Amino acid sequence: MRERGAETATTQMGRMGAEDPSRGSGRDHTVTHELDRIESLWEEGLSDAYRSYLDAVSGFDSADQPRLALAAALIEVGVRLQGLGGRAAPPPTLLMGDLCLARSSRLLADAAPQPVQVAFARAIEEMSSAAASERPAPHTRELLLRAFEAR
Amino acid sequence: MVGKRVRFKTTHPTEFVDITDRLRDEVKRAGLRIGRIHIQSLHTTLGIAINENEPLLLHDFEALLERLAPAGAGYQHDDFARRFDIAEDEPENGHAHCRQLLLTGFSTVLVEDGELVLGRWQSVFAVELDGPRDRQLAVQLDGEFSAPRPKGAGDAELVELELSRQLLVDPEPVSAPMRRLVEAGSKRLRPTLVQLTAGIGPRTEPLRAASLAAAVELLHNATLVHDDYVDESTHRRGRPTVAAAEGPERAVAVGDYYFAKATRLIAEIGNRSVTSTIAEALEAICASQIDDVALRGAFPGDHDSYLRVVRGKTAALFAAACASGALLSEASPEIVDALRRYGDLVGVAFQMADDMVDFSSSSGKPVGLDIRQRVLSLPLIYAAEDREVGPEVRRLLAGALGDDEVSRVAALVAGSGALERVRAEAQALVEEAVHELETIELDGLRPILISLARSAVDRNA
Repeated sequence: MRERGAETATTQMGRMGAEDPSRGSGRDHTVTHELDRIESLWEEGLSDAYRSYLDAVSGFDSADQPRLALAAALIEVGVRLQGLGGRAAPPPTLLMGDLCLARSSRLLADAAPQPVQVAFARAIEEMSSAAASERPAPHTRELLLRAFEAR
Repeated sequence: MVGKRVRFKTTHPTEFVDITDRLRDEVKRAGLRIGRIHIQSLHTTLGIAINENEPLLLHDFEALLERLAPAGAGYQHDDFARRFDIAEDEPENGHAHCRQLLLTGFSTVLVEDGELVLGRWQSVFAVELDGPRDRQLAVQLDGEFSAPRPKGAGDAELVELELSRQLLVDPEPVSAPMRRLVEAGSKRLRPTLVQLTAGIGPRTEPLRAASLAAAVELLHNATLVHDDYVDESTHRRGRPTVAAAEGPERAVAVGDYYFAKATRLIAEIGNRSVTSTIAEALEAICASQIDDVALRGAFPGDHDSYLRVVRGKTAALFAAACASGALLSEASPEIVDALRRYGDLVGVAFQMADDMVDFSSSSGKPVGLDIRQRVLSLPLIYAAEDREVGPEVRRLLAGALGDDEVSRVAALVAGSGALERVRAEAQALVEEAVHELETIELDGLRPILISLARSAVDRNA
């Protein structure tokens, strides 16, 4: 298993949907700072996910908005990388997904009010519980958008 | 002899703070049967008094102090033009110093049958004379103590109850495999560290500490579920791993569920510093896991890489457990930092000791499992660097590792002195961890933290 290439994560992400290069620019410097080790994911779906959450965080403190949108995007991308609810990802990809979830957790701890932190955790519990029970997966983005409403 | 600090905040310029119950608690916590409790003010405008706690009388005392040393009565101490080395925020408080001189800055109360020896109307006061301020008293208890109840005894049961309670309410597809793992037996070092350090600061709440400790244990186990899939491990703690028993898909889901649940339980505790501390540790663990797997291409690696990975993969949660418990109890930043360093050092030492277990036939685990799985291991690194056995070790590790090769590598490591070197290094780290405890006030917890650190590297203890 260890012989599987470390590039698997990138390959897996490549299947998640191509990114329009023209939309890759202009990301917040906070976001850039938070992409350490996962920079490659930005052009491979993370930026799209990030932008899709920006409207949902408009009611939060402006300084927290990029971190909150990125936290949600990391969960969305992280569980997809891991293969949660589908075929388990190979180890290097799983670990990249784990890092996405962990970073999201830290971003939420830093920037989200407690009810939102709790709501995000519950969203992952719901997704993983469904996966373990082999029930249809709830729609990740809807779950996470709803989590922002918990504040 | 037990020493500690009693900290409190005052809210008025002059205030009689009744500390009698705090002192009674200290006597009970220390198990002092007969002896003395010494109290000493650590401030020049905070006095100590033993008198009656009757509100009108306290007003009389305050009025008396005002008559004897009125505020603003032209004290030379308040003439800053004539003084040297004055702080920017130096207050005009000559009256407060003079009032303190009329009181005393220390007191001794006798203890008999585990109780303070006080008359019916006597209470012990810390007398604020220049408040409001943060204050502290030095307290020492001296005499005969009852046989110490191990600190944390009973607390461990709280964690087990909390773990059972949490697993009981979870859906069966995730709780069943996690229950097998949690109940398979673990040293519970991380929750123990949380609970011990949660008793250090002024805010001691065993139930909150147990919730945090249980969440940290769940988080640790969640990481193990994914680790076992990554490492292709078939067994952990003598039982099939989740990935081996129920498949990788279930392992991913179970790990994610308990990662999320643990972070939720921690968030629900409502202490942002605690939440951030654990979240940072989790991020360090995940980053190090990636490094760990990447380093397997250069197996067995080198000492620096080993330390970098172990600091994240193992020590980060030890450090976070220590720091988060202390933060929960509202311990001072100096104490939190010292305990964080203690946890980091103990965590690295623990991992080194764990590496050595792989070469012990009496551990109950198959010898050479780490070799077979090409897991980062310090004894292997040292053996590979050894002038005599190194070339053969490196040659064997570079090829396919069947039973014969694994046995040969294990024998080479055992004969190379690498294990002794790792043991010495782990012990040195433990002593460094113990040193971190020397300069901080630990409310009598120092011996048990020292013992815990030493037991982390002594797997026969």
